[in-house]
Amino acid sequence: MRRIKKKLLTLTIVVITLAVLIVELMPILVVISSGFKRDIDIWSKGPFYFKPTLESYKQVLSNEDLLISLKNSLFVGFISTLISIVVGSMASYGLTRYVFKFKETIAYMFLSFRMIPQISLVIPLYVMFSFLKLRDTLTGVILAHISFNIPYVIWLLLPFFAAVPCDYEEAARIDGATEMQVFWKVFFPLVSPGLVVASVFAFLMSWNEFLYALILSSVNAKTAPVAVNGLLGQYAPKWGQLTAAGTIMLIPVFVITLTLQKYIIKGLVSGGIKG
Amino acid sequence: MNSTSSSRNKRGRTKFGGVSPHWIFIAPALIIVFAILIFPVLYSIYMSTYDWHLFYSSDKKFVAFKNFVELLKDKEFLHSLWLQFGFVVIALPIETVIGFFVALLLNRDGKFYTVVRSLILLPVFILPVISGLTWRLLLQPEYGMVSFFLEKMGFGVRAWLAEPDFAYGMVIVQDVWRMWPFMFMFIYAGLSGVPREILEAAQIDGASFWKRVFKIILPQLRPTIATALLLRLVDALRIFSEVYVMTGGGPGNATMLLSLYINKQAFEFFNIGYASAMGVVLLIIALGLSFFIVGGNIKFEGERG
Repeated sequence: MRRIKKKLLTLTIVVITLAVLIVELMPILVVISSGFKRDIDIWSKGPFYFKPTLESYKQVLSNEDLLISLKNSLFVGFISTLISIVVGSMASYGLTRYVFKFKETIAYMFLSFRMIPQISLVIPLYVMFSFLKLRDTLTGVILAHISFNIPYVIWLLLPFFAAVPCDYEEAARIDGATEMQVFWKVFFPLVSPGLVVASVFAFLMSWNEFLYALILSSVNAKTAPVAVNGLLGQYAPKWGQLTAAGTIMLIPVFVITLTLQKYIIKGLVSGGIKG
Repeated sequence: MNSTSSSRNKRGRTKFGGVSPHWIFIAPALIIVFAILIFPVLYSIYMSTYDWHLFYSSDKKFVAFKNFVELLKDKEFLHSLWLQFGFVVIALPIETVIGFFVALLLNRDGKFYTVVRSLILLPVFILPVISGLTWRLLLQPEYGMVSFFLEKMGFGVRAWLAEPDFAYGMVIVQDVWRMWPFMFMFIYAGLSGVPREILEAAQIDGASFWKRVFKIILPQLRPTIATALLLRLVDALRIFSEVYVMTGGGPGNATMLLSLYINKQAFEFFNIGYASAMGVVLLIIALGLSFFIVGGNIKFEGERG
């Protein structure tokens, strides 16, 4: 009796789990499957009609505007990540490995930057970038993305730097290494797990970001999310193409999150993600 | 020590031309952050004291606090504030509750649950724009998947995003769908600190389930949930992209959350002085709430071990 009860319970739990999973993933499946449908079939044949075709992908991949925006997104993502990692890891190191006045104040200042709403920042940035001729340039979008990535990288790396035992740096100093060498040759490799998390997150946040790119670009510096938003149009959106483009943009996101899950969770728990 | 000892400070660290080494490491970040965060924030405070049209910058007029006074009389702003408040107090608790129970559900060993746990996190990482787009598609009358099921459940054929109350509700549904796994992940991580026997006993022994949840499990998870909620709160306060793509703030201004209204004032009506004033208010709310909640929850983890 008891064993039957236990089996029933296990079965119930599996069923509930599957139900949660299906409900949660259904919207993603709709996006991916719609990308393989024709616009006309989506409009007229109901949500369950599915005769896969690559027509929407052909149209999307011949859309020059969208291809350029994907390239822009990759470029902005890589460069803003690179700068944030170099500058952010140095600052994080400085904040953990030295004792000085105001260091906690500075650390909390960096943390509070992460709370600044993008919309509050984008208005002055728009005026500043217009003045500096940085509007609608990739440099401008990169700068905007660095503004949220640097504080994130600094905070994420603090515990990683703090965890390195003092012996390592003492040994390096005795060997006559300069401060910079201690950082680049000793610490940088030692915190590489943290650097992986930070880079992945910085890239994802830049790749997902929409508001800055929307306001600060118009033609030349459009990133992929902005281009997709442009495809949306006012009436009768071309869902086949939109979802095909969406699926392309989701590929790096899913590859990264599913392969680096362990790191990702660490990154999320220590700071959250948001585009 | 050797001959360089004169250029070393008290703790025996080399100085760079008289500058303490920690500043060399922190300076690049400080300089960049000053240029693209601190200065813009100060500049937006400056802008908020002007009657400033985007295309007539030279005609800007100093008005001191007039923009802030106008805000209090601006019905649309107060409406947005109210919508934003509702969004936060409805979406976040739902996300927490779902996240909590799914964490209890999935806190089991086995390959199956490991796979489920990682798949369930996917929506968190989806581009906000794609999420908004997806829900817009799902809610299309006639051919949207969610509309289809709602119709089967007897709600009739409706253009869900064209009716103010439903559109607002669906914006919240979209956020709950996307972000409860975020809460789930924090709570699941926090559960590892709760002894397994307590959790298992709670699941098998039906009668004492609720008692254990409230008396034992929840108190243990409080700091975890507080941190997760803070992060969610900060994001929920500035939500923009999903809603912009999903409804554009409409129909009318039924889903015109704060960021959307500020965007509209700044980049559709070009009142950048007035919009800056609203931006400053939102900034103060965001910073104020986070300082209030952070208290002792987020610790500076920078002390050497």
